[in-house]
Amino acid sequence: MLVLLAAIFVLHLTCIALLLAATIHNAWWVTGTVSTDIWARWTLINGQWNYTELPDFYPKEYLQAVQASSVLACIFCILGLFVFVAQLYTLPKGKRFLFSGVFQLLAWLCIMIAASIYTDIFHKDERFGSYGASFILAWISVCLTFISCVTYFVLRKKTV
Amino acid sequence: MLSVLALTSVVLLGIASQTTAIVVYTSWERHALVGSDVRLSCSFFSWQWTSPDVTFSWHYRPDGARDSVAIFHYGGGAPYVDNKGPFRDRLEFVGNPSRRDGSILIKNVDFGDNGTFTCDAKNPPDIAGRPSSVRLLVFEKVPVQAGVITGAIIGVVLGLLILVVAIYYLMRFLVARRVFSLSMSKHGKKGKGKEGSQQKQASFGCDGSGQAEGGSIREEETGVSQREEIGIVEQRARAPEWGCLNPDPSPGRGSGVGEAGQGSYDH
Repeated sequence: MLVLLAAIFVLHLTCIALLLAATIHNAWWVTGTVSTDIWARWTLINGQWNYTELPDFYPKEYLQAVQASSVLACIFCILGLFVFVAQLYTLPKGKRFLFSGVFQLLAWLCIMIAASIYTDIFHKDERFGSYGASFILAWISVCLTFISCVTYFVLRKKTV
Repeated sequence: MLSVLALTSVVLLGIASQTTAIVVYTSWERHALVGSDVRLSCSFFSWQWTSPDVTFSWHYRPDGARDSVAIFHYGGGAPYVDNKGPFRDRLEFVGNPSRRDGSILIKNVDFGDNGTFTCDAKNPPDIAGRPSSVRLLVFEKVPVQAGVITGAIIGVVLGLLILVVAIYYLMRFLVARRVFSLSMSKHGKKGKGKEGSQQKQASFGCDGSGQAEGGSIREEETGVSQREEIGIVEQRARAPEWGCLNPDPSPGRGSGVGEAGQGSYDH
């Protein structure tokens, strides 16, 4: 039981780490000289990386939706960790970790929204470049948060 | 009190050293969108009455340039607007010199208008003073402020979450309270013990204070163990007839318990 608990805790921590990396690190789209974030863009000019604004042709509302939902996913995941620890101590025997599961579900929804919008709307007609590390991390965290959420909904509290 | 004295002395000293100095006020910085009109305000403080010979003059120094050019002058009761420089046909005097206001209006600003505007006011005989500068910053048109939608979405979602959690706990609280008031009224009519909280009912008499609610919530939240304990109390409590039926002349919380002589029923 303790091993299972530790594994679930580590899974949750991994979700948080991946979500934070996806939101903060600026590698959603990379080319040879450009590394784009959802917040700004790094451009290689004369051998130096400069932090520049995102281009104007980016649809602003979608961009802000992506920003908002990825930040919300991070918040819900972190809150879910605290709720999980609290429920470990206060939940009666035999009950399920519903509250933590709900937080993970919300985090899953938010990051799925963010990743889907980004995939569908941005970089549709750019020929150079590819999706970067943060993008991949975002989709991986979609899967992980889903697994975590299902685990919480299924798991029952037993004596350790 | 001491601070007031100190303040007055400083002010008086300041006044004494500057009885013939004029103080000019403008904003520190002005932000404007391309194509909009911006009003640069200038006012002054002087110990003399506003003279009819009051003068205002505005100079402009573009960003990166070293020299400034004169763009506006008010003197002898009439405004003189620049008709050769960068602001020809775009400058308008909107101030009121008799009210010590020497503001100008620049219409249709562009990126070339970024720079420092200096206002110098003179109120004879009060002419010794320093001019004041305002910096103009011109921005591109931004349809929505960066981050407004982001912040709004985050705020709304978190707010909804907090609201839902609050409503959930409130409903639990109210339901528990209603359950208790119902059981209390039944107990008052029939005099039988219902749930284990009967002990608490007795302990505060029939005035329906908040102890019942606290007890019920505790009961719900701690689950199985508490229910077992309450079951035990229930068995004990069923034996006597409680004091709600018989109005007790000596009021107070512990009276019911003491009356029945069953001892303490601490939870």
